[in-house]
Amino acid sequence: MNMNVRIPQPDRCIACATCVAVCPVAQNCPDFPGPRMMGPARQRFRLMGMGEDEASHYCANCKNCDIACPGDVPVSAFIMRAKAEICKKNFPKLRDWILAHGEVLAHCLRFIPAVFKNFGMTFAPARLLLDAIGIARKASLPNFAPQAFRARLARLAQPNLSRAVVFFPGCFVDTYEPESGLDIVAVLNRAGYKVIVPGTTDDSGAFVCCGLPMVANGFWQDARDNARRNLKTLAAWAAKGMPILTACPSCALMIGKDYAEYFPALIAPGQSSSLVDVCDFLIGCVERGELALPAAPQKVETVFYHAPCHSRALGIGLPGLDLLREIPGIQAEYADSGCCGISGSYGFKKDKYPIAMRVGAPLFEAMRQSGATLCASECGTCRVQMRHGGGKQTVHPVSVLRRYLG
Amino acid sequence: MLVVGSGMAGLIAAITAASRGKSVRLAARGAGHLAVGNGCVDVLGYVDGEIVRGNPVDSISRLSGDHPYRRIGAETVAESLAFFARLCAENGFDLAGGNGENQWIPTALGSFKPTWFYTPAMNRETLSMADRIVITHMPWLKDCHADMVKACLARQRRLMSKDMYIEETAPFRAHRNLTPLAAARFVDTEAGERWLLSQLLQCLQRSSSGRRTAVLLPPILGVTRSAEIRARLSEALDADLIEMASPPPGVGGLRIRRTLLRAAAGVGVTVMENAHVVEARVQGQRCVSLVCDATGGEREVKADSFIIATGGFLNGGLVAAPGGKVCEAIFGHALPAPERTEDWTMPDMLDSQPYAKLGVQTNTRLNPITPEGDALPDNVYFAGRTLAGYDFVNEKSGMGVAIATGYHAGMNC
Repeated sequence: MNMNVRIPQPDRCIACATCVAVCPVAQNCPDFPGPRMMGPARQRFRLMGMGEDEASHYCANCKNCDIACPGDVPVSAFIMRAKAEICKKNFPKLRDWILAHGEVLAHCLRFIPAVFKNFGMTFAPARLLLDAIGIARKASLPNFAPQAFRARLARLAQPNLSRAVVFFPGCFVDTYEPESGLDIVAVLNRAGYKVIVPGTTDDSGAFVCCGLPMVANGFWQDARDNARRNLKTLAAWAAKGMPILTACPSCALMIGKDYAEYFPALIAPGQSSSLVDVCDFLIGCVERGELALPAAPQKVETVFYHAPCHSRALGIGLPGLDLLREIPGIQAEYADSGCCGISGSYGFKKDKYPIAMRVGAPLFEAMRQSGATLCASECGTCRVQMRHGGGKQTVHPVSVLRRYLG
Repeated sequence: MLVVGSGMAGLIAAITAASRGKSVRLAARGAGHLAVGNGCVDVLGYVDGEIVRGNPVDSISRLSGDHPYRRIGAETVAESLAFFARLCAENGFDLAGGNGENQWIPTALGSFKPTWFYTPAMNRETLSMADRIVITHMPWLKDCHADMVKACLARQRRLMSKDMYIEETAPFRAHRNLTPLAAARFVDTEAGERWLLSQLLQCLQRSSSGRRTAVLLPPILGVTRSAEIRARLSEALDADLIEMASPPPGVGGLRIRRTLLRAAAGVGVTVMENAHVVEARVQGQRCVSLVCDATGGEREVKADSFIIATGGFLNGGLVAAPGGKVCEAIFGHALPAPERTEDWTMPDMLDSQPYAKLGVQTNTRLNPITPEGDALPDNVYFAGRTLAGYDFVNEKSGMGVAIATGYHAGMNC
């Protein structure tokens, strides 16, 4: 038996249905039979080569099933593999290719000024065209930044510091929100760390998209190719004993957990491919006395915090919330309202947009009820969804910290 | 302090400790057994196969000395149940029972089981007082067998003289896999409530009228608005609505879990989800930290005291190995068990099973002890099914032991 090929067995599932009870999509879309049925239950039929249930496209890959499962069943991984198999037979829609390959697309469009790209995303006839290929007209698509994070970082003069960290920016920060990335660099500099982004601040191989959007849209092989490239880069930096940070919980989960789950053959024995959450790292900096926090200002500001599902799935608690609570003068209010609904590219899809908005409704309501004018969350697309549904300014927790550091 | 486990025992332990002013972290791996339960709290239904009469707390003295209830004492058990009832009341969860004696509530099979706390919609007294009983038949719903329910009810002495009708209802949507949870979620919406009202009106019109009508339903009266929905429908129909306890996914258990999570957040408990605690670091008689297997490698969580409520074999709190060996999953203590695995089970499935009583042995403060009675780390407390000495299935005592030991651990830590 080839031990490198590991087919996940569904029999750890005892059909307790806890995952069905917590699944945000099952709660809001009666056509989705739920994770238990689409994951381990159907897996038994798949292993026997029997029919597939097309409803797997409803799964948003938010991982609430994995979080709730008492038996360590890789529920979402079963569904993602099934989706990939379906997409092998029926090539996914153009829309899904576009949403899965944001990085490639951004690269191709890099010479078109952001103002034109963004005009294309707000201009009504253009939105009708996008709507026609299945991108919801009402969805709030993030704007392209005039210059990508990596381009701006390459020109940034960082102070000369003895310690350094490697930073995995993730596509969202790189393409749409370089300000968040620059806030993180500024705070890490303040804590005494120079920030290295491979291929930007040096000549080594660059990180590519973690591959999560590709898996979620059924492009398994593309995700595997990206995983191989990233693992190679990660191994090189890990060998230098350098901490590798990310600000995106989905990238952290994909690289730290899902690579081993999806592509076990790519992981060398003994290789750890993990990324450290930047908030978690900064709490350590505060504890070690590397980062001094300012004295509390006169006025206490309330910040409304939403925990991305993928942060919760990391199993490290809520370092984003803990970090906010460390900042003097900040009163952090924890939303505790479940999934925001967006799940990366899911909520942009025409047929999924109404589901995503229903899923996020309790969070939007909590935002409206809150007295806070500023909201925070680690995940880029969660922030997009929170601005769209809750109508309030939403930033990364480290951006809140930077404001206070001045 | 750190609590491990987010079932009933872990949540009650965390809330109790946090209410005493402790700073509490809760590490959860999975949502706990509570989420699949039917929402009743069994305290003690049987002792040695005999039905418990009167207040179950008064029967604790009849249990063997190594039963968790005996370890912590009947007084603490009573106190913990009062704490739980208060917690539910303060958080707007409508709880019935908890006085007099056990209530026998109807199950989805038409049988009855003894329990202590339940939702008002499960009250059997309303069934006894009715002249006619309408059993809603939902053949489109899983685990719903009206004929069997009727046959079982008709065997009950107090019910056999009643007029019983089976009335079929139309599904709210066509799907091959509809569960009571899906129906309850639909009924939570305005359209769903209207649908249920119209279905039940038709049911009542078809069967001949009686002076007092009881309607038996699967647990579909909503998840978040169940009390108000039941009140409105009862008034509109001029009938008592009774829910039957049903198999997972548990609508009732979810209702309690929502309540307890809200209560925990209210007293400042922070929850670390998807955290798999794999190892303990112990120095002498004290546990220093627990180690989680998280994304990104090992993660050490330090605390002054620890409450372990990780469940039994099913939830991974206890681990069995070949050769009749059993150990506790985090500390790895070997636990006493019959040497021959043949002796772990009894031939009659309905008998009390020896394996069900395997678990961690503790002193009266719920600190683990060796089989010789020596204390292991004294800042560690165990609660819920990880404990030895009780068979919750046979006794109908699962949630009761979880509440009582969770509370006791939370008070002692």
